Amino acid sequence: MQKKLEQILMPFAIKLGNNVVLRSLRDGFLIITPLIIVTSIFLLIGNFPIPGWAEFWSHILGPDWTEWFSAVSNSVFSFTGLLACFGISYAYGKNRGLQAIHSSAVAIISFLILTPTVVTVGKQSIGAVQTMYLGPNGIFLGIFIALVSVEIYRFAINRNWRIKMPEGVPPAVSESFDALLPSGLVVLVFFLIRIGFSLSSFETAYNFIYTMLQAPLKGAGNSLPSVLLYNFIAMLLWCFGINGPTITNSVWSPIFFVLTQDNLTAFQNHLPLPHIYTQQFIDIFTTYGGGGSTLSLLIVMLTVCKSKRVKELGKLAIVPGIFGINEPIIFGLPVVLNPIIAIPFIIVPVLNTLISGLVFSIGLVPYTNGVMLPWTTPPIISGWLSTGSWTGSVLQLFELILGVLIYYPFIKMMDRQYLAEETEAAQLADVDINFDEV
Amino acid sequence: MKVIVLLDQMQAGLGGKEKANTPLGGKKLAMGAADTYDKVLKKNGSEVMGTFYCGTDYYQGNKAEVQRKVTKMCEKMQADVVIAGPTYDYPEFATMACELADQLQKETAIPVVVSIAIEKNQTLIEDYQKLLTIVKMPKKGGTGLSDSIDRTIELCQLKVEQADITEFAQQYCY
Repeated sequence: MQKKLEQILMPFAIKLGNNVVLRSLRDGFLIITPLIIVTSIFLLIGNFPIPGWAEFWSHILGPDWTEWFSAVSNSVFSFTGLLACFGISYAYGKNRGLQAIHSSAVAIISFLILTPTVVTVGKQSIGAVQTMYLGPNGIFLGIFIALVSVEIYRFAINRNWRIKMPEGVPPAVSESFDALLPSGLVVLVFFLIRIGFSLSSFETAYNFIYTMLQAPLKGAGNSLPSVLLYNFIAMLLWCFGINGPTITNSVWSPIFFVLTQDNLTAFQNHLPLPHIYTQQFIDIFTTYGGGGSTLSLLIVMLTVCKSKRVKELGKLAIVPGIFGINEPIIFGLPVVLNPIIAIPFIIVPVLNTLISGLVFSIGLVPYTNGVMLPWTTPPIISGWLSTGSWTGSVLQLFELILGVLIYYPFIKMMDRQYLAEETEAAQLADVDINFDEV
Repeated sequence: MKVIVLLDQMQAGLGGKEKANTPLGGKKLAMGAADTYDKVLKKNGSEVMGTFYCGTDYYQGNKAEVQRKVTKMCEKMQADVVIAGPTYDYPEFATMACELADQLQKETAIPVVVSIAIEKNQTLIEDYQKLLTIVKMPKKGGTGLSDSIDRTIELCQLKVEQADITEFAQQYCY
């Protein structure tokens, strides 16, 4: 059964994992993730979920203090479309064997070519760029431009359309001339694309991509079945030793990214939060202590199990587990290729997803604010910080306990087996190998 | 076939990187990753007779002592074959596995099989591929783990039976 399932899953996982476009999307978002985490902290300080927080600091620091913090958070959150274009073009160029920095440069220029640069204020037109085009609503346009511009650039490079410089010219100069014709081709194509859209009813590429791609994909991704499928596949793959989220993120990450940024923008502007299924929902309300929600498993191992091996591992892995690190248990228990643990390892996160989805839908917990917390933030605290409400922490606690109950019979089965082995070994001889004897 | 498995602290289920100072130890049981081998071995009437573990930092600080004790203990326990790994792409464990396997091969007649991922271990593999039989395996989170476990056991069997491993090595080893 396990072998058969693996035979079906493996080609699918390999295909997704090796697909250069999907890999570049995932890697590209990872490039900008540290910036998002750092600026999120500034955003959180400016909007800390404690009543009277803003007023308290206004008395001390003056009424403009939140602007100091929003200047930092805006530097990333108002430009996520442009940043996504930068990160993805860099990763895609690198994965395609091109000079990554040149790939990024042509992609950014292409993005700017397609961006409207005139704003009408009253009867007057002024030269300006609206952050609306560069922020969350421009993410899919950024992705599209990154891939297309790098592909055109590669087309020219592969055909060796370069200006050859004589020998003796410094490499930096000759590299710059190498990029001249390919960059020119990219610029020409995007020049024509811009003209094409300006003649159509969409007027801009932004309007076209947003209406035709971003809005429908966002709608499809922002649903309970989509998120259930995401977690099911991710956990199933882990059971075969494959890093499941790496595979599933290559498909879902652009959608989650957009949904998260929408909530973040609303949070920043004190507007109602629009979406349930954000990256925070996935990270903070579906798994606790890493993939498989193994913090629940660790609690059972530590409190109920009797086998020395299981108990010891529980003791050693609980602290890292609280902070979301579950490598010791994934490989040490092990979870990989372990059909007994595979069952709760899949059920618990999927059930958590279902419960959290329903709880958020009926409004028992406020939607997540989109603030990206460091992934090591422990549950209970993360539930409160991401929703600004204690009910978020209660939901986490409930699901942690539920996970304990689901993991219990399965780990007990393993525990009994291990205990029997340990007892048998202890009867035969001393189970510990004494290296001092040799 | 009685197998001894050499693991680092992580694969033995004794904690993560923070426990890299775990001294050399062992149990007459299949611990952690050794249990995955044991399940496959038991299907053919074989078993893991012992798991040796050593923290990677401890090994680095006490190389000579660990190598000597592991070699002596493998001989004393009369293992048919020793598996060093699975190391995935953990370079510290991969180094320890190769060095211990090399020592065992030099000092004893016990056959050794190593299982390492190429990622982060390119140079190490280049250094040892002529000296040892190193079965290819995926990096942490990569595809093909189950197959690599099966192949490791298959190679153990071939080595114990003193069969010709040329074809097998060409296909599945570095």
